[in-house]
Amino acid sequence: MLLKVQNLHKIYKSGTHALKGVSFEVEEGEFLVVIGLSGSGKSTLLRCINRLIEPTSGIVEFNGKDITHIKGEELRKVKMQIGMVFQQFNLIKRKTVLSNVINGKLGSLKTFESIIEKYSDEVYSEAYKCLETVGISDKAKVRADALSGGQQQRVAIARSLMQNPKLLLADEPVASLDPATSNSIMQYFEKINKELGTTVICNLHFLSLVRRYATRVIALRAGEIIYEGSPRDIDENWFKTIYGEEAEEVEIR
Amino acid sequence: MSKQLEVEAQLKSFIEENRRREHKYGLLQAILLDIFFVFYSILVVQRAIYYKYFLDLRDLPFSWTQIIIIFFISIVIGTSWALTRTSLSCKLFGVANENKTTKWTTELFGWFLFDITFIAGWIVTKISIVSLFSSDGLNGAGRLFSALFHPQFGIFDDALFAMIETIYIALVATLISIPPTLIISFFTARNLMRENKITFAIYYVLRIILNFVRSIEPLIWAIIFSVWVGIGPFAGMIALLVHTIASNAKLYSEAIESIEQGPVEAISATGANKVQVVWHAVVPQIVLPFLSFTIYRWDINVRMATIIGLVGGGGIGTMLMQYQGLARWREVGLIVIMIAFVVWIMDYISAKIREAIY
Repeated sequence: MLLKVQNLHKIYKSGTHALKGVSFEVEEGEFLVVIGLSGSGKSTLLRCINRLIEPTSGIVEFNGKDITHIKGEELRKVKMQIGMVFQQFNLIKRKTVLSNVINGKLGSLKTFESIIEKYSDEVYSEAYKCLETVGISDKAKVRADALSGGQQQRVAIARSLMQNPKLLLADEPVASLDPATSNSIMQYFEKINKELGTTVICNLHFLSLVRRYATRVIALRAGEIIYEGSPRDIDENWFKTIYGEEAEEVEIR
Repeated sequence: MSKQLEVEAQLKSFIEENRRREHKYGLLQAILLDIFFVFYSILVVQRAIYYKYFLDLRDLPFSWTQIIIIFFISIVIGTSWALTRTSLSCKLFGVANENKTTKWTTELFGWFLFDITFIAGWIVTKISIVSLFSSDGLNGAGRLFSALFHPQFGIFDDALFAMIETIYIALVATLISIPPTLIISFFTARNLMRENKITFAIYYVLRIILNFVRSIEPLIWAIIFSVWVGIGPFAGMIALLVHTIASNAKLYSEAIESIEQGPVEAISATGANKVQVVWHAVVPQIVLPFLSFTIYRWDINVRMATIIGLVGGGGIGTMLMQYQGLARWREVGLIVIMIAFVVWIMDYISAKIREAIY
């Protein structure tokens, strides 16, 4: 068991009750997709897993260890094992692609070494390897903001690969990309999942992508899990329960 | 299932409790503000309007007992007024009862405060149209202006040298200010310091010190330092330096506060430590604004350095003061024209540089 979430609650200071007792488990090697409307708690859930935010109550167990309320050095060690990809890519725009990818390695580098930016050859070759995995090594010396959205997201994936993550979280990784690019980004996630054996948890909106890539699906509504199972079993009725009565499925090709 | 309900009930009471506390706090603030408003109105009406205008007293009578009595009266009126939940402050802090009385009192009292403040201001500034257009005054001004527009070029080389001194004072003050400002600004950025109580305390203390230093004008710093290190360019430079650090640290830290949070989140998600997050996610986003602020500050410092010279900070200002003391207005005219020219050039250059780096 790689990840075990039990009765997880998150209440923000504003009083928003984002997660209301979410429980699920993730096996190693799974490709789990979380679906649900905007504001249903998907992003909060991911951020509770890699502890960018602290859950209010409940338990998050990663690799057999309770990480719900850990702090400091211990928390850093856990974060190093969990990669994360964001909707807005979150690259450092003024830096080159290469140094953005190396940023993924910061946790295991010495502070001084990382500040003067003198990295060993191994780090560089590792960075190139990660860039090759997402097929973008020819852009290594280009400034990150000179790339297109899809390319930036590939760099962001390469950055998280730099961590050699056991678990890769993706918070709506294709929500600001066009359909064709979305599909190719999802193919990279699939490749990482299948070839490197990395477990992936991904927030998605489009059901066609969900059916194609997910091995298992969780649906959230208003902070609660209302569906858990195979992507093929989401029929018209389930779809309406998840997205509301007026929702209609849109095909993207 | 019952356990879940229990948790939910607990959370609800927690939120409710929070709201009640906030409400209480708001009422307390409203009471204090109302006391102040009443105190202020009584004092302004009595001292500025009644004593100064109606009785036309030159020396206002002052007694602590009277002020303390007024203060106690305002405490009684302010508190009881706020407790009716219809006062202006209740409205401001969002704890007022929404009814007609509230609407009327807020509007009336708001206008009352504004009016007495304006009237008192008018009386205190001694605004007088007569002296602005008296023939004596106009003649004097005319003489001065005609001298200023016929500058005496005999002292041009001295003035040029003093001008260069001024520009260097400004430049050195700006350059030396950069490293300390950089360090301070990270400790005064709210988003980096709010995580635990110790760092937040440091943030708070530093902010207070900076506000204090900034609130003292460079002119006054120059007076202090001309006593401390002696009259001359060095005193002027330190005065500018102190003020530059205090004001740029605020601008810098505001730039840090307004960075995109995404990259910071992404870098800290990789398991990087605090220093690395700052260096790799915060710094790249603030280099350009910092550069821009610093160049702009050089421009401001040139302007300030001329003023600081007036109180013994060296450079062109000191020279201006000397000729003004001798009433040699044609020399003063030359110096004023040179200052205007240099300030204009600096303004232009700094604007161009700032445009170019963005």
